[in-house]
Amino acid sequence: MKRALTAALLIIVALPMLYAVAQLPPQGSPTSPAYTHVSARYLEAGPEEAGAENVVTAVILNYRGFDTDGEVTVIFTSLAAVLAVLLGVRTGEKPLAGQPVSSVEASVVVSFVVRLLAPAIALFGIYVILHGHVSPGGGFQGGAILASLLIIITTILERAQAEALVPLRIRRWLQIAAPLAFFTVGVAGLVVFGNYLQFPRTHDLAWLTVTWLTIIEIGIGVGGAAILATIFWTMGGDS
Amino acid sequence: MIDALWTNLDYVGSVVLFCIGLYCVITKNNLIKKFIGINIMETAVFAFIVALGVVEGGDAPIMGSGATPPFTNPIPQALILTGIVVAVSTTSLALSLIIRIYRHCGTIEADELREMG
Repeated sequence: MKRALTAALLIIVALPMLYAVAQLPPQGSPTSPAYTHVSARYLEAGPEEAGAENVVTAVILNYRGFDTDGEVTVIFTSLAAVLAVLLGVRTGEKPLAGQPVSSVEASVVVSFVVRLLAPAIALFGIYVILHGHVSPGGGFQGGAILASLLIIITTILERAQAEALVPLRIRRWLQIAAPLAFFTVGVAGLVVFGNYLQFPRTHDLAWLTVTWLTIIEIGIGVGGAAILATIFWTMGGDS
Repeated sequence: MIDALWTNLDYVGSVVLFCIGLYCVITKNNLIKKFIGINIMETAVFAFIVALGVVEGGDAPIMGSGATPPFTNPIPQALILTGIVVAVSTTSLALSLIIRIYRHCGTIEADELREMG
């Protein structure tokens, strides 16, 4: 009975969507409305105007910079919410048992390979962050790579070693790096050009655009890595 | 209609993925599995919007020497990049709430939680 109801509900949900999908213009056609309006201009003028050969980076950091500014605030807010939910233990609520569930030591081979690869992973993360405006990549992607490095060090080696890479003294500043970088660049645009987050428009100031984009990318990368790693540590640990 | 669906096969894939996610949300009892279902639904939406930006024979929208048009549409990719980060944020918040529920109630099975109600 329950199965039949579920199947009926899924069909009721799927049919209108399939009907709508069938009405859309054929996929991949260069004349579809999504492709012929604003994106044509972005593709044409993006590299010149926004200072990034990777047009996706140009869109998220320059054309839609406000959107991304709000978004880095969202991920910072989620960190704040996770910390508020998990660190505030009320009385009468017993924290999880102190012993880790799995206490099997990682094998020598695994930990050696992690030690061997860690610098290479870090280098790749930094490369992806810094080359985000001319090649595939950017702050978020590179930040995710750096965060996964911190997580793999935590799980395979020791948590203390990973935490040492994000020193407690400056951890708060690293976590807020992305909104700070956006704010810095935004105010710089306000002071120099008169609008918050306004990038230079003239061609001879292209170096300034690239510098500002790089500052934002580094902020997003470092901030994203610190936030993801802190969320992981907060969820994984009971300290 | 079948012909139209066949040309838009990528979109149909997103619809199927969405229904798989919805199925998880409805039938699974474990809160984490329910949330994995929500994540699958998110992924379906992302895949749909990215598929909207595909252009026949299009390259990645990265200019520079040697780049030849046509390029795929950069706007859906940028929007979904934003969307993925927001999805990560909501996922981390939901998982931390589930951890808190487990600490408080000792279970994350929906029916057991309902009985405690």
